[in-house]
Amino acid sequence: MSFEQHPVSTDEDLIESFHQNALLKRKAEDTIFTRYTYFIKEGMYKYALPEEDAFDAYSDTVLQVINNIVSGVFEKKSSLKTYLYRIFANKCVDLIRKKTTNKNSVHQTSSVTDMLFMIADSAKTVVQQLIEKTDMDILKNKMKELGENCRQILAFFADNYSDKEIAVALDYKSADVVKTSRLRCLEKLRQLYLGK
Amino acid sequence: MSNLKYIDDYFNGFPGDEQKQEFEKLIKNDAAFAEEVAFYVAAKAGFQQHAQQEKKEHFRNLYRQQQAVPVVQLKPAKRVWQYFSAASVLLFIFLLTWFVNNRKTSPDQLADTYIQQHLLTLPVTMGTQQDSLQTGLNLYKSDKLPEALQYFETMLKNNAADDAAKKYAGIVSLRLKNYDKALSHFQSLEQNTASFSNPGKFYHALTLLKRNSAGDKAAAILLLKEVVAKDLEGKETAVTWLKKL
Repeated sequence: MSFEQHPVSTDEDLIESFHQNALLKRKAEDTIFTRYTYFIKEGMYKYALPEEDAFDAYSDTVLQVINNIVSGVFEKKSSLKTYLYRIFANKCVDLIRKKTTNKNSVHQTSSVTDMLFMIADSAKTVVQQLIEKTDMDILKNKMKELGENCRQILAFFADNYSDKEIAVALDYKSADVVKTSRLRCLEKLRQLYLGK
Repeated sequence: MSNLKYIDDYFNGFPGDEQKQEFEKLIKNDAAFAEEVAFYVAAKAGFQQHAQQEKKEHFRNLYRQQQAVPVVQLKPAKRVWQYFSAASVLLFIFLLTWFVNNRKTSPDQLADTYIQQHLLTLPVTMGTQQDSLQTGLNLYKSDKLPEALQYFETMLKNNAADDAAKKYAGIVSLRLKNYDKALSHFQSLEQNTASFSNPGKFYHALTLLKRNSAGDKAAAILLLKEVVAKDLEGKETAVTWLKKL
C-alpha cells in the first residue's frame, strides 16, 4: 500500500489536516513528501544536480510549502503540485547558483525573517544586528541542556502549534498552563545562554 | 519573568498601531529589552531549525524506503537473514542488559524489547484460521518476511475487512521497518471499533515508538492513554510504558 492509496488524498483534505491535531499534521507532511518524490529525479535530470542536492532542494521545498500552508501564505490559487514544483524549480536554480555556499541554509533564514516582519524597519535593524551577534551553536547546545519537557514544549511552539494545541498533544491542563511553562522554559534557556 | 511575556504576547497577538510604536520605541531606547527580543526570535528560530533538520532526516528515511526495491534473490537473501538473525540476537542481549541497568528507557528501546519478546514468533497452529493465513504465518515463522507480507496483502485485496490479515500485514511491515506501511495497516485495523479485542491502536503506538521521529513519542503517548482509558487490547503494557515514557 503506497501513500497514493492513503485515505488523506485531495489537496483540500491535506490542507485541512494541517489545522487538525499533531498526528494528522504529521501524516499530511509525510503524504506531501512521498507523493511528489519523483521531482528529485527531475532535479537530477533537468538541472543536472547530484541526487543528494536534488533531495535537499525537494525536502526544503516541502518544508517551505508546509510552512506556507500553516501560515496561510498558500492561497490555493494553484494545485499543491504546481505550487510545489514552482518552488522546487526555484530552489534547484538557487542550488546551482549557490554551489559554494552552505546548501542547508537555503531554508533556515526564513523563520527569523517571518517573525521580524511585525517590527518596523528602524527597530528591526537593531534586533537583526543583535541576532547576528547571537552564537547559534552555543544556543543550540544550551537547548540540549533543557529538560525533555521543556524541549518538547518549545519544539511544538517553534513548529507554530498554538498553546491550546500543545495542551492537547502533551496533556497539559490548559493553554494557560502551557504558556506559563513555555515562558519559564524560554527564561531558563536564556539564563543558560547567558551563563548564569 | 523579565520581559519575555510581553514580547511573547506581542509576537503571538495582533498588536495595534499604538502597541507597535511602544514596542519599537522600547527596542530602540532600551538595549536590555532589545536583547531580550533578539533572544526570543533567535531561540524560536533555533528550535525551528532543529525541528526542520529532524523532519529532513525523517524525509530522508521515507525517501530511502521508497527507493528500496524488493528484489527476491534466494541465496543473498538467506545470507542477509542469517546476518539479520545474528544481529537480532546481539541486539536482544544488548537491549536486555540495557533494560536491566536502566529503568528509564527510550521509546525505540521499549518498542524493540516488545517486538523481541512478543512479535518474533506468532501462533501458527490456529485451527479456525484460513489456509492462506496459516501459510503467511508459516512464512513469518521462517523469517521470510517479504513473502509473508505479500501473502497477507493478497488476503487483504480479496477481503479488505480481514482484521487478522491487517494485523499481521502491519506486524510484518513493522518488522521490515516499513513504518509508514505498518501505520497504514494498524490505522485501518483500529477503525473496526466493533471488535472486542482490537489491538490496532496499541500497535499503532508501538510503531510510532519504534520509528521515534520528531513528534512520534507525543503521538504514541496520546494513543496509549486512549488504549488505557478505553480498556483496549494492550492495556497492561500501555500502563507500564506510560510510566516509563
